[in-house]
Amino acid sequence: MFKAAPLCVLLGLAVFFLLWELSARALDGAFILVGPVEVLRYLFENQTLMARALWVTLQNAALGFVYGNLAAVLLALIAILAPRSERVVSGLALLMFCLPLVATGPILRVLFGPGQGPQITLSALAVYYTTYVPLLVGLRAAPATWFDLVRSYGRQRWSELVHVRTMACLPYFFAGLQIAAPAAFLGAMVGEFTGAERGMGVLTVRAIRALDVDASWAIATLAAGVSIAAYVGIGWVARLCTSAPPPVILASTAASAGRAGGWPDRVLTPVLIAAIALVVWWAAMTVFDLNGFFAKRPWDVWAALVLDADAAETRAALTTALAETARYAVPGYLAGLAAGVGLAAVIVLLPGAALVAMPICIALRSIPIVTTAPLGVLLLGRGSAGTITLVAVMVFFPTLVACLQGMRQAPGQIVDVLRSYAASPLARLVHVQLPTMLPAFFAAARMSVPAAVLAVTVVEWLATGRGIGALMALSASLSDYNMLWSAVVCVAVLSVMLYGIVSVIEGWVLSVFAPEQATR
Amino acid sequence: MAPDAPASCEVICSGLAKRFGATEVVAPLDLTFAAGQTTALVGPSGCGKSTVLRMIAGLETPSLGQITIAGAPPDKILRRAGLSMAFQDPSLLPWRSVHSNIALAQKLARQPVDRAAIEELIALVGLQGFGDTRPAALSGGMRQRAAIARAMITKPALLLLDEPFGAVDELTRKQLAEDLPRLWEARDTTTLLVTHSVSEAVMLSDRVIVFSARPARVVADIEVALERPRFAGLVTDPDFIALKDAVSAALAEGMASLRPLAAQ
Repeated sequence: MFKAAPLCVLLGLAVFFLLWELSARALDGAFILVGPVEVLRYLFENQTLMARALWVTLQNAALGFVYGNLAAVLLALIAILAPRSERVVSGLALLMFCLPLVATGPILRVLFGPGQGPQITLSALAVYYTTYVPLLVGLRAAPATWFDLVRSYGRQRWSELVHVRTMACLPYFFAGLQIAAPAAFLGAMVGEFTGAERGMGVLTVRAIRALDVDASWAIATLAAGVSIAAYVGIGWVARLCTSAPPPVILASTAASAGRAGGWPDRVLTPVLIAAIALVVWWAAMTVFDLNGFFAKRPWDVWAALVLDADAAETRAALTTALAETARYAVPGYLAGLAAGVGLAAVIVLLPGAALVAMPICIALRSIPIVTTAPLGVLLLGRGSAGTITLVAVMVFFPTLVACLQGMRQAPGQIVDVLRSYAASPLARLVHVQLPTMLPAFFAAARMSVPAAVLAVTVVEWLATGRGIGALMALSASLSDYNMLWSAVVCVAVLSVMLYGIVSVIEGWVLSVFAPEQATR
Repeated sequence: MAPDAPASCEVICSGLAKRFGATEVVAPLDLTFAAGQTTALVGPSGCGKSTVLRMIAGLETPSLGQITIAGAPPDKILRRAGLSMAFQDPSLLPWRSVHSNIALAQKLARQPVDRAAIEELIALVGLQGFGDTRPAALSGGMRQRAAIARAMITKPALLLLDEPFGAVDELTRKQLAEDLPRLWEARDTTTLLVTHSVSEAVMLSDRVIVFSARPARVVADIEVALERPRFAGLVTDPDFIALKDAVSAALAEGMASLRPLAAQ
């Protein structure tokens, strides 16, 4: 993929740390930025506390990582072995992924009580979708003739799975695991925000409340370091086990839409997904015999939003909060996408820049931005700029990496044709690389929708006290479970709808600009 | 021959046709391929000859008509592992060595892996010493030869070859054309070969069927009564040349159906 000489990586890292330290010294006394030297000093002085917290969070994250990835593998196997179920399975998986962690956290805390349950569950919830999506792409990534070979011996799906798909999907599976590792850490930390006794998340909340800038930076740096180490470690294992990294790990939805039926399928699938989700929700509450005070059923939410005397007030509160959140989330999301594409274009035009920039960008992508949210608020304040920037950063890194991978898919022969006409790098970018990048860009744009929602709600919850994130935090602390569950449903449904809108735009753009990729 | 496979393997296509949406790819065909014979299917590019092969292999469902292989529907012979197909693309699994790719065919055909037979075939297709090599380290022609060995290893009663020599260099091609027929003749294999090369069609087969441009219709059905075994020197034989000319003329006739389109 992006092979950089170790020297370049070291140089990039050295420049990064130097700039960080110099900025910290320049801002000395402002209590917003702490340099790497101070961070190291803090970590050294509090090593016992930090090591204990890190160990607890690592355990939670590791268990969540295992459970989440097992769920991903199971879902992908169902989708592959029973292809008719794929759209419903994928839809349900997306819906679950769109549940706002900041609200499911407190709900799980009440359901599980004290202990590690919520941390592990949230960690698994943060992981399974990021593995499921590339795994599904990988399971289909083999050329059609490999399947013809298996079927020409009269063998069916199971043999295809055993002899072709399992090995063909490995690079994609590892790419998914690589993204999942930091996500598991993020999930565990968010779980710890919700009232755990130990762990990095607990220390984060304590540092924010005590306005302890040194501690905030030290914890965030440690979390980032561990995430990068997990990301690099899995990458190393992947290189040992597979011959080459996958070309792109996200496929266009248009490709899977092409396999589906006509309009009845498009109408029936969402209805079926909604019906299954409601039944599973009701069944889970009933089977575990959960207390109706905090474990709301579907009709409780319907009553809270439509039938109750104060339904209008609930709706008004939700609408106001969602509108406020949208004011930060939408500009942040769009800015993140634009910055990702923009920097990808610059890197392609100046190939030397990629050598230094790419390892750093890939490393930074692996940092769970949300765990560093308190730093963002420290640096940028509690106003709109801070929130928008954090959402943009959350969207920026995956978009940048996807766009660069996408541009590298430009067919060499077509690039050579343009070269033979002495076309400028800019002409190559506009005529070949940007159109080739579109499927990867839209895949990133789709996956960024839940990520942006997660970022904005966490920042609102932890720091700004505005919008739907703060409303959910307030409802949880006031035990207003009707409001909390209503907010969860609204955020999840809105996220899925926004994801759907991006998919529709994707289908339209790809059918015009990259028809062969839309139908691949 | 595969243990459960039928000994004699006549293939009968009756009223066989294929449409992809509004496009008619194969017009209704009635063809019988005699057991133990090698038949070459030739025709213009995209005329649907590969589709005929894929329908016989059970990889495409006919839109009309039916196929019987050894008196039974194709899925029966598929279940008995009596059929092998070599594709235009070698389709070797990149994570398996040459030896392991060939062994995979035996596993898929539910046959015990016969290491000695695999080594023998590897030598026959000229890949001695490459048994442990992965496909990425082989040239295009070497990969194709490995794919042919894979198709042969299960000793199929029916062998389908879809332009298998396309990527093979001229010298190897001639050598394979001499060596391979001996294998399938000794086993009484019914072989169907799709090819673009007229001389290859005449050299390898007992019968050449020439298709028109799409939708595929039979333009000519030419018997090749040349003695076997055949050697490369045969290309200068007057009978060979006459047969080649006959096939070429039929091909030109088949192509003629394209011309009105070109003139529009």
